[in-house]
Amino acid sequence: MSHPAPPAAPDDWQRLDPRMLLVHPVREVVRFLPPLIGLFLAGAASGGQPWQFLGIVVPVVLGLFRYLTTSFRVAAGRVELKRGLLSRHVLSTPLDRVRTVDLTASPIHRVLGLTTLRIGTGTGASGEDDDLDLDGLPVARAQQLRSDLLRTAHAEDPATTPDGVPPAPERPVVELDLAWLRYAPLTTSGLVVTAGILGLGGQVLSNVPLWDEIDPTSWHIGLPGWTAVALGLVVLAVLVVAVSVLGYLVTNWGFALTRARGSWHLRRGLVTTRETSLDEERVAGVTVGEPLGLRLAGGGRLTAIVTGLGSASGSSTLVPPAPLAVVQRAGAAVLGTDAPVRAELTRHGPAASRRRYTRAVGTAVVLAAAVAAVPLALGAPWWSVLPVLVLPLLALPLAADRARGLGHALADGHVVARSGTLARRRDHLEVDHVIGWNLRATWFQRRLGLTSLVATTAGGPQSVTVIDVPEPLAVALAAETLPHVVRQFLA
Amino acid sequence: MHQPTLREPRERVSTKARLMWQVSNLVEGVVTVAVLAVAAGMWDAVDLTWWMVALGLLAVVAYAAVVPQWRYLVHRWEVTDTAVYTQTGWWARERRIAPMSRIQTVDYAETPVARLFGLATVTVTTASAAGALQIAGLARHRAQQLVDELTLKADAVEGDAT
Repeated sequence: MSHPAPPAAPDDWQRLDPRMLLVHPVREVVRFLPPLIGLFLAGAASGGQPWQFLGIVVPVVLGLFRYLTTSFRVAAGRVELKRGLLSRHVLSTPLDRVRTVDLTASPIHRVLGLTTLRIGTGTGASGEDDDLDLDGLPVARAQQLRSDLLRTAHAEDPATTPDGVPPAPERPVVELDLAWLRYAPLTTSGLVVTAGILGLGGQVLSNVPLWDEIDPTSWHIGLPGWTAVALGLVVLAVLVVAVSVLGYLVTNWGFALTRARGSWHLRRGLVTTRETSLDEERVAGVTVGEPLGLRLAGGGRLTAIVTGLGSASGSSTLVPPAPLAVVQRAGAAVLGTDAPVRAELTRHGPAASRRRYTRAVGTAVVLAAAVAAVPLALGAPWWSVLPVLVLPLLALPLAADRARGLGHALADGHVVARSGTLARRRDHLEVDHVIGWNLRATWFQRRLGLTSLVATTAGGPQSVTVIDVPEPLAVALAAETLPHVVRQFLA
Repeated sequence: MHQPTLREPRERVSTKARLMWQVSNLVEGVVTVAVLAVAAGMWDAVDLTWWMVALGLLAVVAYAAVVPQWRYLVHRWEVTDTAVYTQTGWWARERRIAPMSRIQTVDYAETPVARLFGLATVTVTTASAAGALQIAGLARHRAQQLVDELTLKADAVEGDAT
């Protein structure tokens, strides 16, 4: 890439918003809180000289320096960010590598009318120093900058930028409906958060010395043991539901998915608001996720397959847990066609189904044997380990569901693949984004004439796997998507 | 309808690759068995009997003789004007096809062991982390030829390979 523009004048460098002078000191004080407390305790002990107030001054001065030493510019087709007092960092990235733009506003930012703009370029580096964060811009300026960045990334595509005329904001494709809250307890996140809170609470409580003085035998709650256990479980369930609903609200409050000027914009958040913009050309496809709990309640969630973006960045969610119909409608809107989402899938046949049973039941039998081996070795009677037989029985419906789920299709320029039962997923990947095919078959699979087909796509670990396809179907699918490449290798 | 099947890639790797795999597997196997035997002797975990030793030796022979031969039969590759096609593995066979237009880098490497046998590995990467194609055990001059050929062909196609 050439740079015909002359080196930009020094005054092109812009500072962040001066209101950050209020944000930085508060943040630095919070970050330095432990040493500060120590300093004050030491100061009080040594007779209350005023020198401990230096401890407050240092963070404030640091914040001031941070403001003074950070500047950015958009010039000569690049975004550049300069920062650091002692060690200077200059981050620079070409505008056409901008994949995503995030606007995040913490509560303190929101009070001051500021927002943080983060530019995602999809580099492999993920250290904090490598992020292109413009922390602290007025909201209007950040929005302007975002549309500039995304528009420049699209400069080749005039259809998306009607000159001079700012297009009217489009109606959201999907918006939050409070009825979706019923799906919140059905995901695992509520469970994880509750477990975290209970764990933390337990740890705090166990550090309280008072704990040792309580004598459990002296409790008189007037309930027999089993009732107490049942009551405890009910309380726990209520807690899980409450926490997950609350978590859903905090994350997804005001959720709206909009398409504007060649990008998808996702807005959500109750306390910290977050707006993510995905360059439409980088969206290679969508995944409809249906974890078992959601699936039983007729729900699902939507994520984007974004090229050049590691999966770790987490900015690829498109629709939080919602009714399946809504998720599918949003998916069709993002793909630009509803054929892939609605398509009937080609089943993988009896051999693939049998393999689901062998694998599920086989694993369960090995597990059961391992569980039973210990008591048996210790001399327990044989009938006492009979309950482990439940494991292989439990595996049966799982295998049946997995077998039912397997399928693939090629619909309107998209490869569609579905698999899984506890975490059922249906991937839709645009054929243009398939950059290679891997066919992997173990000796067992070859004996059954099956193969696992992987469509690779640009950007980190992202790929779409079609599990255990009969080989002729796999080859046909590969040949249909990349005819000029695959046909020459056909027998 | 005629059922389509993929044929194998046309070219084999160097026969010296089989020798290299045999030698390195043999060394690996003998060392593993020796370590196990010494450990068993030191801690008296099991009484070494003749059949255990025989079983161990049998495993080493299989690992050093059968697996490299199997691998040699499976390992194949082919480069055309529009694509690179490789087949690797032994128990699990993996075939990878990448369009020439999606190739990002061509990597030539000689490991210390490979140098003893005059061999080299060529790795072709695409933008996907799941999509690197590796051709191990090529004769050095053949590998260098291949790198030149791939570089020329990949240059001839337009696009940023994502």
